[in-house]
Amino acid sequence: MSKPQPVLFDIGWNACINCGACVAICPQEAGFISPFDTIAVDRPCDIACLLCEKICPVDTITHVLVSKSESLES
Amino acid sequence: MRSTTYDLVIIGSGPAGATVSRYAAEAGLSVLLVDKKQELGAPIQCSGAVSRHALEEVGLPLAEEYILEPIYGFAIYDQAGSATRIDYRQLKAEEYGSGSGLKPLGYVVDRRRFDRYCMTLAERAGVQTWLKTEGIGYEPTPDGRCNVRLRRFNEDITISCRVLVGADGLMSQVGKWAGLQTHIKITELAGCLQFIVDKVETDGLLEIVTGHEWAPGGYAWVFPKGHGYAEIGLGVIPTMTDKPARWHLDKFIRQSFFKERFKDCRILEIQGGGVPLAAPLRTQYADNLVLVGDAARHVNPITGGGIHTALSGGKIAAEFLIEHLSGAHASDCSATMLKGYQDEWLAQLGDKMWKLYHTKTKVFHHDDIPTRDAFLYQTMSDYFDPNSEYKKI
Repeated sequence: MSKPQPVLFDIGWNACINCGACVAICPQEAGFISPFDTIAVDRPCDIACLLCEKICPVDTITHVLVSKSESLES
Repeated sequence: MRSTTYDLVIIGSGPAGATVSRYAAEAGLSVLLVDKKQELGAPIQCSGAVSRHALEEVGLPLAEEYILEPIYGFAIYDQAGSATRIDYRQLKAEEYGSGSGLKPLGYVVDRRRFDRYCMTLAERAGVQTWLKTEGIGYEPTPDGRCNVRLRRFNEDITISCRVLVGADGLMSQVGKWAGLQTHIKITELAGCLQFIVDKVETDGLLEIVTGHEWAPGGYAWVFPKGHGYAEIGLGVIPTMTDKPARWHLDKFIRQSFFKERFKDCRILEIQGGGVPLAAPLRTQYADNLVLVGDAARHVNPITGGGIHTALSGGKIAAEFLIEHLSGAHASDCSATMLKGYQDEWLAQLGDKMWKLYHTKTKVFHHDDIPTRDAFLYQTMSDYFDPNSEYKKI
């Protein structure tokens, strides 16, 4: 299996119901969390298991590859 | 920067945290209870069903302030709509009912009011309560105590205490601080969604709908919510469907055998949450730290119910801590000593929860959907049976 590429999550806040399921399933260390009790969206996730996207009851978590988002910015 | 000391700091003022606090303060311990929210209970991530004896067991008055509707029993449906009705108004008419001298089996509560009520009782028992206060970290100190770092209205505060109690919910950060294995398997966390609705009739029963067709890996429910409202919800296991819970809930409302009953329903609130249908945490303690409630995964793996288990577990934790902190080894709050809490919890509650977990696991080991549906329906019906050995969980 190839090493996962770090990703940056994006949350569609319009649909987010602040249920906390994404944080509950997240294997990241403590603190990988946003002020709205979702997974963090301001720093990359190097695990990239994407379980948070799978569990979201309203299907409102997406991601971009960090390598891609950097090239988009530059 | 301020520094203060307490016997206990409790992070998270849900039913578990508030219960530990209240008992500890009543026994004379100094307790600080913090919650990062500005109002408790919200956003609601729970259907609010709790048995009467669960409230009585931890000395909570049955107060109108938080009760939305009394419950008298259950109806378990298979996926085609056949039901097992377990109505205590008929089974034990001399004991249960709405008439004078009769009582309900349980209640659906308003979690916003219920959580605040629990905190108020703790506060009145002498607990110092701080809202808008987030836990940042904790470190055991050489004097056998620990420092808990908090942030309250942007102010950094360090508190020294003897034991930190993590009651910070399923997404427990406190457990992670201590390096506890809090990771939950994706096959055991149900993504749940519920609507509070108007114009759906209910009859004092908790209605539970099984079947892969409606809620793969979980179940759907229709609960009375007081004032003529109802809640319709479901939980699904993400690995058993490629659709989100919301899609399944829409389908359940529009296409199930209840579609006629639901056809005029009006949605008044939308709530969701992650509900573990999993085993309790294997290790619920560390140096100067214990976990309670959802944080310790004290959740019934069959029903996903967590209020009763949070209240009872909170009481067990408090009783252990009160005894330990006044005993011969009071100055030693290392993991070795605090293991006693978990042992006590297993003996009183946990061993049964493990057994329930194995029962649930067996159901979902069946790959054939009709077989699994049949087993789940049977398991649920047995679970709620008046003669079930799990009646008090």
